Amino acid sequence: MNTKTIIWAIFFLIAHVNIVSHAQSSFQIGGLPSLNLNKKLKNDWSINARVESRLRFQRGQINGAIDKEFNYVLTDFSLIAAKRIGLNSRVAGGYLIRFEDGDIQHRFIQQFVIVQKFSAFRLSHRLVTDQTFSSVESPEFRLRYRISSEIPLNGESVDPGEFYVRINNEYLNSLQAATYDLEVRLVSLIGYDISDKFKVESGLDYRVNSFLLNRTRHSYWMAINFFIDLK
Amino acid sequence: MHTAKSLFIIVACVASNLLVAQDKFEKESRIKREDVPAKALAFVDSLQLNTRFKWYQEESLSDKSIEVKFKFNKIKYSIEFDILGNIEDVEAELKPAEMTPAVLLVFVDKLKTDCSSYKIIKIQRQYIGKKLDLYNLLKFNKMSENLVVNYETVVRCKQNSKVAMFEYLFNEQGKMLSVSKITFKNSSHLEY
Repeated sequence: MNTKTIIWAIFFLIAHVNIVSHAQSSFQIGGLPSLNLNKKLKNDWSINARVESRLRFQRGQINGAIDKEFNYVLTDFSLIAAKRIGLNSRVAGGYLIRFEDGDIQHRFIQQFVIVQKFSAFRLSHRLVTDQTFSSVESPEFRLRYRISSEIPLNGESVDPGEFYVRINNEYLNSLQAATYDLEVRLVSLIGYDISDKFKVESGLDYRVNSFLLNRTRHSYWMAINFFIDLK
Repeated sequence: MHTAKSLFIIVACVASNLLVAQDKFEKESRIKREDVPAKALAFVDSLQLNTRFKWYQEESLSDKSIEVKFKFNKIKYSIEFDILGNIEDVEAELKPAEMTPAVLLVFVDKLKTDCSSYKIIKIQRQYIGKKLDLYNLLKFNKMSENLVVNYETVVRCKQNSKVAMFEYLFNEQGKMLSVSKITFKNSSHLEY
């Protein structure tokens, strides 16, 4: 299956989810700025520090009332240590702390990533398990899979001073208080490689969840991501 | 260096099977047909091959060049020109079995010495010579004895329980001309 087929399959899947889930559905629109700092360490170790905030511009029911009040929603801080275990693969583990509505959530993260290089693009597969704990909610356990592609817009690889497109598709299986949910994410970003150590990307991060529970929520986030590699 | 345009390449030399590396940066950008030097365009047009050509400009710290890539009769080719459009070399991808047996033997012996395990990812036969000889090769598959033939290979190699990619260059007599370590570009945005 080539990349075009995969991308079309993803679009059809999302469109299908949209169609079947419009009854009793809600939405939110906002911004999702993030800053990633990455540092290489000795012996194939590296560390990633990330801060991401969520800002909501409006929310409401589809075909219903809309609340256009601006809201700051949350901020996440995470620290992940990774070890390269193969030519293009890493295992990683870390911790995320979330500040939301005066409450704090603690999340423990384990992940495996493999990045494949093809002649005209790169593809990464990321498998994550995480466990979230807080004083106000039941523990949540998730299993996530993300496929992500980087497609250069000039040449066969992304070089400094060049743009690229990044498309992610992620499936998040969640189990909380004996309730299973599935969230699907589709992210489409335009990126600019300022240097090999500094990238900036922006685009739409679409998420849909709770459609299995018949109270579908669509989230449309305008993402802006900064990736900085420290020497 | 055609096989690893998309990568940073560390140029290395071999001494007692230890690779001593020096950084070298190469950047490849797609260019439009209108921006291709006239001489390079004229050469490619004169081949009259019914296929799609993709043009690139390559930049290293010390040099610039023009490259065209295409597929013909199920074989991937690339032709490199200098910035004025003078042809420099032609490369054609091939399978290990299509390599000259004596060179393959030396190559495999070298890999067995350098790597505890290995996988040959890609082999290209490189032809260096005069414009007319390269034209005859591409157009009529006619091999001139004046052409210098090298083999450029990309290998996945495990050394001391670490895996890395290397580019080996051999001549037709099986003498190794160079070995380079290929390092991949930063991928933190694809991981986090």
